[in-house]
Amino acid sequence: MNSVISSVKLHLNKREATLLVPLYITGMVALVSILISLLFWRSGSIPGSTEWVSSSQLNPGMLYGLVGFLGYLGVQSVSTTFPFALTLGATRRAFAAGTVVWAIITSAYLAAVFSVLTLIELATNHWFVGFYIFDVNVLGAGNLGRLIPIVFLGTLAVLTLGGVFGAAWVRFGSFGPLALAVGIVIVVIVALIVVIPVMASILAAFQLWWLAVAAAVIVTLSAVGIWLFLRPAVVR
Amino acid sequence: MTTAISVQSATRTFGRTTALDRMSFSVASGSILGLLGRNGAGKTTIMSIIAGQDRPTAGRVEVLGGEPFENASVLSQISYVRDNQRYPDDYKLHHVLRIAPDFAPNWDADLAAELAEGFRIPSKTKIKKLSRGQLSSIAIVVGIASRASITLLDEPYLGLDITARALFHEVLIRDYAEHPRTVVLSTHLVEESERLFDQVVIVDRGSVVLDVESDEIQNVAYTVSGTADAVDRVTQGRPVLSTHAVGGLKSATLRGLVDEQVRADARAGGAQLSPVSLQELVAAFGEYEPDATSGVALDGGEPRTPVDSQNGARS
Repeated sequence: MNSVISSVKLHLNKREATLLVPLYITGMVALVSILISLLFWRSGSIPGSTEWVSSSQLNPGMLYGLVGFLGYLGVQSVSTTFPFALTLGATRRAFAAGTVVWAIITSAYLAAVFSVLTLIELATNHWFVGFYIFDVNVLGAGNLGRLIPIVFLGTLAVLTLGGVFGAAWVRFGSFGPLALAVGIVIVVIVALIVVIPVMASILAAFQLWWLAVAAAVIVTLSAVGIWLFLRPAVVR
Repeated sequence: MTTAISVQSATRTFGRTTALDRMSFSVASGSILGLLGRNGAGKTTIMSIIAGQDRPTAGRVEVLGGEPFENASVLSQISYVRDNQRYPDDYKLHHVLRIAPDFAPNWDADLAAELAEGFRIPSKTKIKKLSRGQLSSIAIVVGIASRASITLLDEPYLGLDITARALFHEVLIRDYAEHPRTVVLSTHLVEESERLFDQVVIVDRGSVVLDVESDEIQNVAYTVSGTADAVDRVTQGRPVLSTHAVGGLKSATLRGLVDEQVRADARAGGAQLSPVSLQELVAAFGEYEPDATSGVALDGGEPRTPVDSQNGARS
């Protein structure tokens, strides 16, 4: 257990990357969103109008802005940290467990930050002007009951998926991530081939919680994949 | 004295490449082992296995009584920084100094600070931008300040200036005396390090070619030099590790002790006999060609013939 905790601390040792960079990116996306809103304002759109609100809530920038960085963070959490973890004396088992625990902590942290910022945005009637930064559809449209699982599970899925790609690289070199990506694409296409005839009825019956289940499946498979790739991995 | 490290017929293959070929040796607790040999001889591979970072394809390696691979209690007592160590992105010195104590129960922060200052390791520069010598300095800081029961130092001198090397020697000897531990040190700067060693293991092509206590090195081999004819007279029928010829002069390093017959043969031809330094011994074993089909066996093994270098240069 101590070894797992030490591995978690190893990941958290880069405090800026884990805790601050996501905030920097969030701030940058917020700034760009505000500038775009100002652009629409100057072009005649009226803050608070139905059109303004519906258009602003369609902004997916926050999602796009963070996913790239979180994917990188997940990859490097294994690819460059694993060799150093072995040097420090961590077991592969403890490192893999510590990586998943770190991903959970990071996801919870971001969910908490986004919750607070969303509450502030709602309490200030969208920053006193009508800027929709966090009260957007992709983050649950101001509903914390949706925002928290979206940010938590979304972040966790991206971090662990990045982690399994990093582990594939550690285990098989550049061939690993390539083969993994091709494998995932093949599985997705085969799944689509199977379900495409009934896709319309599936979409009609779609429930939001299906996404949560999908995220949980991705997280579980990725966590198992990290362990399976790292267990025989050799650093050379 | 108890055995800290036991390597028993360890073989490690990577595809068709054999990095270790039935390597065997042991290291006593509280001693310093010099692990010597040419590049590619298998030093880093066996250190990786001892450190639990790799597993032998065949054979057995035990550290402190247990197999190190995935053995948390053993790994917590091992310190091993690779010569090509990779660090997490954007790591700086303070990241290393902050996390290392979590994994090394005997970590000495004051010693780490003393070494970091002595080596003048830049604290604000990312590790991936440091020079080769500065990277070696960080490895030494981690290796010595960990005060691990098993300390593996893989080419710690790479890129170090002479002042830094002196500091490394000074601190290692001082801290080793105050906090005894088992040290395995691989290096090509044999002459600078040999006074540290209690035991010397020379490896070549993945196998141990020599395993002796350091005070027995003088008894391992000797050099004969003189005219080519005089040297050939002495080497005939004796186990030769290496020979060098320049013009009509020649020297040869022979395995074994100088006995009366050797002295008589040397005297008859006017050849000179001299002891071999550890550095010369490592070089001689590095030149030794095991695949030859004729020659005299070194230790009762298969007959071997040494490479005859004509330019006098040593690797």
